[in-house]
Amino acid sequence: MGEAQIAKKTLLGMVPADSPFYRFHPVGRMALLIFLSVTPLFIDMPEVNLGLILVTLGLLWWGRVRMQQVRRYLPLLVTVAIFMFGVAFLAPGNRTALTPIRSVGATFYFEPMWWAFVSYCRLIAMLFGAILYFSTNRERDTLVALRSLGVPFAVSYVAALSLRSAGMFMEDFKTIREAQQARGLDLESLSVVEKAKLYTMYTVPLFAVALRRADEISNALFAKGYTLSGRPAGGGRRTDYLRAQYPVRARDWAVSVGLVGAFALVAALSKTTGVFSDHLSPLRAVVVGMVAAR
Amino acid sequence: MSVPRTASVGPSGEAVWATERGERRQPGIVHVVMLALFIGIGIVVGTLGSLAVPIGFVSAFWPGQAVQAVGGVWFGWWGVLAGMFFPFISNALSGSAPLPVSAAYLPANFLQSFLAGAAFRWLRVDPRLQTSRDWFVWVVIGVLLANFLGAFWGTYVLTWFGMITASARPTALLGWFFGNSVPSLIFGSILLKYVSPMVLRSKAFAKGWWA
Amino acid sequence: MRLAVEVERFSWRYPFAQRDALREVSLAIPAGEFTLVVGPNEAGKTTLMLAIKGIIPHSLAGRHDGTVRVFGEPVAQKNAAVLARQVGYVFGDPDAQFTALTVEEEILFGLENVGVPTSEIGARIRRASELTMISDLLDKPPYDISGGEKQRVAIASVLAMDPEILILDEPTSMIDPLGKDLIVDICGSLKRDRRMTVIVVEHNVEAFAPLADRVVLVRDGRIEREGAPRTFFDDVESLIDCGVYPPQVTQVFARLQRRGLYAGPLPLTDEEGVAAGTRLLQGAGRWR
Repeated sequence: MGEAQIAKKTLLGMVPADSPFYRFHPVGRMALLIFLSVTPLFIDMPEVNLGLILVTLGLLWWGRVRMQQVRRYLPLLVTVAIFMFGVAFLAPGNRTALTPIRSVGATFYFEPMWWAFVSYCRLIAMLFGAILYFSTNRERDTLVALRSLGVPFAVSYVAALSLRSAGMFMEDFKTIREAQQARGLDLESLSVVEKAKLYTMYTVPLFAVALRRADEISNALFAKGYTLSGRPAGGGRRTDYLRAQYPVRARDWAVSVGLVGAFALVAALSKTTGVFSDHLSPLRAVVVGMVAAR
Repeated sequence: MSVPRTASVGPSGEAVWATERGERRQPGIVHVVMLALFIGIGIVVGTLGSLAVPIGFVSAFWPGQAVQAVGGVWFGWWGVLAGMFFPFISNALSGSAPLPVSAAYLPANFLQSFLAGAAFRWLRVDPRLQTSRDWFVWVVIGVLLANFLGAFWGTYVLTWFGMITASARPTALLGWFFGNSVPSLIFGSILLKYVSPMVLRSKAFAKGWWA
Repeated sequence: MRLAVEVERFSWRYPFAQRDALREVSLAIPAGEFTLVVGPNEAGKTTLMLAIKGIIPHSLAGRHDGTVRVFGEPVAQKNAAVLARQVGYVFGDPDAQFTALTVEEEILFGLENVGVPTSEIGARIRRASELTMISDLLDKPPYDISGGEKQRVAIASVLAMDPEILILDEPTSMIDPLGKDLIVDICGSLKRDRRMTVIVVEHNVEAFAPLADRVVLVRDGRIEREGAPRTFFDDVESLIDCGVYPPQVTQVFARLQRRGLYAGPLPLTDEEGVAAGTRLLQGAGRWR
C-alpha cells in the first residue's frame, strides 16, 4: 500500500493516518497552537523560548511529521536571522548608551545584538508553533475545532471555503507555470522585472476564474438548501455530523484545560513577577561576563 | 417585458455607484462566497509574492496589497474583510510572520484594504480607471496613502515585537512602503483596468458597502 | 395524476441580454415520469431546469414573467431548504458544485442544511454512496478524483437528500465512456426502483431515450415538440436539423419507414432493432 493511502494531507504536507496527534480532539490541538504561538510573547528569556522550540521539534518528531516539510523553512530562518542581526548592527540606536563589543574591524554593541537574539528566539518559537499546527492538522480538523468552540457556521464555512479555494488557485497557478516551463520557459534566467511580469500574467486570470466560481458556487449552495445564516429552514440549530464524529474524551479536556492554564500562568507570572525577563537569563549573565572581561 | 439596457454601453463613474430606481441590493450567498474566494486568492498572491523576494518579514515585493485594495473597491466590506484576514494564512504559510504578529498587523491591513474602496465610493471614481481623475485618486489614495499608513503602523508592530530596532524603523518603513506600492501600482492598476468590467457585471459587485 | 412540475407561460431574460432565454414556455411533468430534454446549444434547456429548481429567480438576477410550480406551489415562494428537499439538481460541471473538502463532507452538507438529524445522516451517506459506487472515495477531496467519479459524487450528494424530483443537467458531458455507462445505470435504477421524477438534459440521446417516458425538444427558448420517445423520434430529419441525433438504430428504421419498407414501432435500443430487423426479414421470407 502506497504511503499516500495511509497518510493524511495537511495544510503543509502529509502526516501518517496513525499519528499520535490524531488521538487528541482538534480543540486540544488548536489549544496547543495557541499555547505555542502566543506564550512566547510573554517570555523574554531566550533559554525558555529555545526550550519551547525543542519541545515543538520533539512534537513534530513524535507526531511522525516528515522533517523534510520542516527543513524547507531553514532558508527562511537563516534569512530572518541575517536580517534581524544585520539591522541590530547597522542601526543600533543611541551608541553612547550602549556597550561596545569590539571585534576585528567592526564595532558591535551588546544591547541591540542581545535584544535581536531574544526577539529572534521568541519569533522562531512562535513560528514553529504554527508550523507544528499546520503540519499536523487537516482543514477538517480546523473546522471541527472552530465549530466545537462555538464559532458560527457561516464563519467556519468561509474559513473552509477559503482554504479550499486557495488550494484550487494554487493548482491553477502551478498548472499555468508548468505549461510555460514545458514550452521552454526558464524561470532561473529571468530578471526580477521579467519575473514580475510573468507573475502578473499568471495571476490576473485567477480573478476571472474567481468571479465565475463565485456564481457557480452560490448557485450550488442554493441548490443544496444553504441559507446565509447556515440555519435549517425550520429554524433551530444546525446538525453537525462532522463534530459528532469527534467525541471529546477526558484526556482532551485535560490537554485543553492544561494548556490554557499554562498559558494563563505564564502570562500572569510574566506581568506580575517578571520571572521570564531576559535580565534573569543565565545565558545573558555569561555573555555579560565575557563582554566585561574583554 | 421591457428591453434591458444593452451590453455595449457601460455606465459612467457616477453611474457605477448609483443604484437605479427600483433596484434593491442586499447581501446574499454570492457575497459570502466571494469573501471566501477572495481570501483564497489573497493567500495565493500573498504567499507567492512574499516567497518571490523574501527579505525577512519586509518583502521587497508584496502584490498582496493590490488584492487588498481592489477587494475593497469591488466588494466593499466583504473585500475589506478578505484583505484583513488573508495575510494571517499567507504569513503563516510563508513563515513571514507568526499569528500574534499578523493579529497586530490588522489595523495596517484594514487601512490598506479600506482606503481605496472608500475613496472610490465617496468620490464616485470609476473602478475601470477611465479618466485622469480616476487614476489620480487610485494612485494617491489607493496606493500611496494606503501603503504609507500601512507601513507606518506595520513598522511600529515590528518594533514592538523586537524584530527591528527603533532606529531602523524609518528604513523599514521605506522598504515596506515601496515593497507594497510598486507591485500595487502595477498589479492593482492592471486588475482595475482589465478585470473591473467583468466585476461590474457580476452579482458579487458591491455598489454600497455590503451589496 | 399528480403533477410534479408545472411551467405556465414562463419567460426569462438574463441581465445585459438582447433577447429572452425562455419565451412563454409551458410544460407539465407528472410525478414519477422520466423526462428527457433535448435541443441545440443555447436553446434554453439549462435555463428551464434552473427555473424548475428555483435558482431562477432566487439566485440569479434577471426579468421573468409567468409561473413555475413544483407540486402545486410556485417556486418563487419556496425557500432554499424546501426546494432542496423537493428538487435535487446535478450540474453539468461537477467541479462547479463542490464546496467541501472531502467527498463525505460534500454529501452531508446538504443534509445538514435541510435539518436531517445526525442519527440519520450516516445511513443516508451509506445508501447514496453504495448506489453511486463511491463508498471508497468518502475520505478523498472531491477535486482529486476522476471526472466520472466526480459526477457520481455530485449525484450521491443530491440523492442523499432524498428529493422527489431529480434534475441532471448534461450528466455525461464531461466524462469517459465507462463513466457514462455508470451514470445511465444509476438513472435506470432510480426509475425502476425509486419511481422518482427524473428530468435529464442530454445530448447523448442514445443512452437515455430507452429510459424516457417523454422527450421534450427545446429550441430558441421555446418548447418545439414533446411526446413519447417512439412518436417523438419519428421525424428524424427535422430533429437532426435541430442538432438532436436520435439513436442510430432509430434513424435506420425511420429511413426504412419512409421508404415504405417498415411499418412497425421505431426501436430505441439495439436489442429492439435486432428484434425488429428479424421480424422484417422473416416477414420478407428471407430468414428462417
